[in-house]
Amino acid sequence: MKIANIKMTKWTKFLILLLASLLVATANAAIFYSLTMQPQVSVSTPVLKFSTAPDEPSGSTVNDAWCRLTAKSYPNATLTYEQAVYINNTDDSNAHSFMLKHISITPTNGTSAVGNWTSIKFLVYDSSGYVFSLNYTVSGTDWILEPSSGETSHYSVPQSAGWWIRLETLSPAAATTGNDCGIQIEVDVLE
Amino acid sequence: MLLPELFAMLSSDMFLLLSLLTCLLEDRFPKAVPYVYQIAAIMGFGHLVVSRIFLTVFDEYMRFWYNLFYLAVALANVVAVNLYLAVSKKRWTLAKVWSSAVTFPTVFISIMLVYNYAYLQGAAFPTLMLNLLVALVVVILGISLTVFLSPKLLEKVRRG
Repeated sequence: MKIANIKMTKWTKFLILLLASLLVATANAAIFYSLTMQPQVSVSTPVLKFSTAPDEPSGSTVNDAWCRLTAKSYPNATLTYEQAVYINNTDDSNAHSFMLKHISITPTNGTSAVGNWTSIKFLVYDSSGYVFSLNYTVSGTDWILEPSSGETSHYSVPQSAGWWIRLETLSPAAATTGNDCGIQIEVDVLE
Repeated sequence: MLLPELFAMLSSDMFLLLSLLTCLLEDRFPKAVPYVYQIAAIMGFGHLVVSRIFLTVFDEYMRFWYNLFYLAVALANVVAVNLYLAVSKKRWTLAKVWSSAVTFPTVFISIMLVYNYAYLQGAAFPTLMLNLLVALVVVILGISLTVFLSPKLLEKVRRG
């Protein structure tokens, strides 16, 4: 018996076509959904990146996207790292903005160890001078942030320009050696 | 974000609709037509699969044009079936129903989606195209109003 000779009623044909249509429509929707949920994540170098500077504290680590500065603090004397780390705009054609944002600090507020520091300042400079800063000063056993919100405004680094961070530390005369302070700051870049 | 593949999916669904409707009206169409439209719909699925595989290779401009072409083919088929019913089969009532229930909504939704896509992508369509579309809509509206107000006019035109 040939398939062509099989008699089908109109409704049988319609039912077969309806099922086939549902199958095709569902497959289409699934493929379309997978297209909309197909993000691309490309690995690339940061537009604003850190690089080593002349006064980088010894023992520091500087990478493109992050850096760890191991600075010292002297009792009753301000220690300044004039150019602790560079922040370079690697984009040759566009300016990019960034800000400094406080994330965490140890020792935490309320602990007596906080009294071992007077101030720790992160000042950002460009070739023409001071631009902005994120400062930590001590009042009793508490850290006071400046700006008080813990984050600065965004500042635009011109194309191919190199800015740097000047780090100033100061401890009181009665500070005890061996105490460590850990500060985590986020550099928020608008790409 | 609106993906150009939306046009392919919409077109494929249009072909499925055509397949089912031509099956329901099987005495007015050649028997193979519903199956041909099913195959055309599966080609739309192929479109989507190709887009998915070569998503990183094909740029959006290229994807837009081949999806728009497929949409244009689907719309042309919707209009062609409408004309076939009206001109070849002389089924005026059916053609009018088809026009208002199938042709007008599909064409309207397609044009709206294409313009919305162009707007979101910041692309500008030529003003001439927009003017032509408005002129076409005005002409269709005029004919529809004339036929609506004096149905006998259509009979006179048909008789020549």
